Amino acid sequence: MTGPTLAALLAQFAPLAACAVVLVALRGRPRTAAALAIAGMAVSFAASAWLVAAVAVPGRSFLAQTVFLPVDQAHSLAFGVLLDTLSTTMALVVSAVTLAVMVYSTGYMAGDPGFARYYGFLALFGWAMQGLVLSANLLQTLAFWELVGLASFLLIGFWFERAAPAAAARKAFIMTRVGDVGFLLGVLLLIRTLGLATIPDVIAAAAPGGALTGRTIAVAAALLLMGVIGKSAQGPLFTWLPDAMEGPTPVSALLHSATMVAAGVYLVARLHPLFLAAPDVMRGLLWLAIATALATATMAMVATDIKRVLAYSTISQLAYMLMGLAAGSVTAGYFHLVTHAGFKALLFLSAGIFIHHAHSNDMREIAGRDPRAQRAGAIGLVAGSAALAGVIPFAGYFSKEAILGAVGAHGTTLVLALAYAGAALTAYYSFRMVFLTLVPAGAGATEAGGAHGGHGGTGAPAHRRTPGERAMGVTVLVLAALTLVLGYLGPWLGVRLLPGEAVREPFELGTGALVALALVAAGIGLAWIEFGRAGAPRIGFLERVPALARFCGDNWYLDRLYRATVVRWAAALARAAQWNDRTVVDGATDGVANGTVGGGRLLALVQNGNVQAYLTVAALLLAALAYALGRVAVAP
Amino acid sequence: MSQLHWYLLVAVLLFCIGLYGLVQRRSLIAMLIALELMLAAISLNVVAITSLAGGDAESATGNVSSAGQVVAVILIGVAAAEGAIALSLFVAIQREVQSINVEDLSELKG
Repeated sequence: MTGPTLAALLAQFAPLAACAVVLVALRGRPRTAAALAIAGMAVSFAASAWLVAAVAVPGRSFLAQTVFLPVDQAHSLAFGVLLDTLSTTMALVVSAVTLAVMVYSTGYMAGDPGFARYYGFLALFGWAMQGLVLSANLLQTLAFWELVGLASFLLIGFWFERAAPAAAARKAFIMTRVGDVGFLLGVLLLIRTLGLATIPDVIAAAAPGGALTGRTIAVAAALLLMGVIGKSAQGPLFTWLPDAMEGPTPVSALLHSATMVAAGVYLVARLHPLFLAAPDVMRGLLWLAIATALATATMAMVATDIKRVLAYSTISQLAYMLMGLAAGSVTAGYFHLVTHAGFKALLFLSAGIFIHHAHSNDMREIAGRDPRAQRAGAIGLVAGSAALAGVIPFAGYFSKEAILGAVGAHGTTLVLALAYAGAALTAYYSFRMVFLTLVPAGAGATEAGGAHGGHGGTGAPAHRRTPGERAMGVTVLVLAALTLVLGYLGPWLGVRLLPGEAVREPFELGTGALVALALVAAGIGLAWIEFGRAGAPRIGFLERVPALARFCGDNWYLDRLYRATVVRWAAALARAAQWNDRTVVDGATDGVANGTVGGGRLLALVQNGNVQAYLTVAALLLAALAYALGRVAVAP
Repeated sequence: MSQLHWYLLVAVLLFCIGLYGLVQRRSLIAMLIALELMLAAISLNVVAITSLAGGDAESATGNVSSAGQVVAVILIGVAAAEGAIALSLFVAIQREVQSINVEDLSELKG
């Protein structure tokens, strides 16, 4: 086994080992469990970092695969690792974010009765995502794809004893399952045609003159995209993600940045040549992504729950990544995935600090609880929002610029204009969030001061930060520093991901970049006028129209539509199946059981326990036997 | 009717009386006595058949088989042993359930 293979196995199985030990043996010892999970993830992180360095030379990649169950000549089950810049950098991002979330959670989840279980699930999540990222063939991808879904189900429903998280976990699981049906069919289609469906084989087969016909490619790409849409919360299947906010905030950070929703985008980047070979499907994806980006931006503009704002922004940013990929640039889409992982984890973890402090998700309530005292949280929130909005030196600017450039080079003017509009809305809603959270209501300045005084009276000055809270602050500050650095990765990634593509310099300020910056400035300015300045109305232009506010605040009524149609039909079908089960199937088995019992009862009457009755019967039977034998003997 | 038939008739009567007693009496001891009657009937049958069957020719020669008498003696021995075992069981049952009425011994009722 070569070094890279070994490191890849280590990167995957260190979290798995930690997960197994924690869940089996350390349920009652939370501190040891957390330490072990963090150690496992740190090993994974180190291995991933080494892997990135090992394949950093452009054009270099490793594929190691071992068949463990041959099915017939063409088909077999295999396990392997595929190492190139795409998979190793993604593995690094996954392990880094998971590690950050684990360290942060030592403070956020401190004292929770399920602390050890939480760390076990986090390690499971890390393993599943690492396995997905490094997998060498599509069947393996599918297996880890489902494991990622399972881990997010477990973590969203972590507080399963309450109704809302349990329902949110179910919704997330079932809704992504809808897309996964398509994903499964797509994988099976490719396996039927290509046998093992190793990822490089699939890509080679999709090239002109490859083994796949154009029709097959289009069908397979469309089916795989169904899974991507479910997993990455796009188009009609996005409503599970805002509800998934019921999980603990660090879980949201993990779920939204490097794992789960990133899996869909990563898959499109992984099989990008296959998708590019189906241009009609890609055009559909481009429009779907634009629609999703704009729709969820409007939802983010009216939400008052800070985590919901972030959730909608995630959907919107994922749509931007898919836009970049659909426009033909794997570098732009994947670059945005990496930078987004950094700043979205940062945003959620900063929001977590406020939520931990104020015990509320509502931005107005957080604003009333002296939010600026949370120094690290405030820095993180502002830096993350600047990155999300695309302010110039922050990471988000460079990657979004790359996407807008790719869309501009590929699409029509209308597409580009819509993409720019989305960028302006992003700036607006992210700074609406900043102002709503950090600026206490202008009219209630004295009231806020009073609240502060009251809070101080209850012991705030005497409050010493615990080591856990310090860990939260440090994690956030490290991530905030990263948002300033990650943006310069673009050219490095570009050279290695797609050697032929033209590389954009980070500070190349063309017309597009200036327009984008102007729009961002306009968005921030509008947010400042409406929410930031002294005496601001603190009500957005969308919220002024109650009907629109309701419409946007309720997922564009999509959930209502689903409840009235699909959910109702499925529930009716379920009721019919239940009736069938209760009445027909159970009836048959119950009938057999009751018949046996009844027959036994009937026969038990014979067994009356009276010896003399038995004797009588025995004597009568013997007499009858003797009579019969006598007749036979007498008859000649 | 030959001599044998009278013996067999008496044996049948004894057997039926024994069977009736076995079925009708509720006391285990009475049932045991009835059972002894049935055994006696069988012994009588065996002795009578082996001694008298075969007709007048054999009896005239005085060639009488004694095998039946041997069997009868063994049967008496068996009956004595059976009585000893049964009575000791009855004592045990009496101690256990304070009764030797057969109607009280219906634990195996279905």
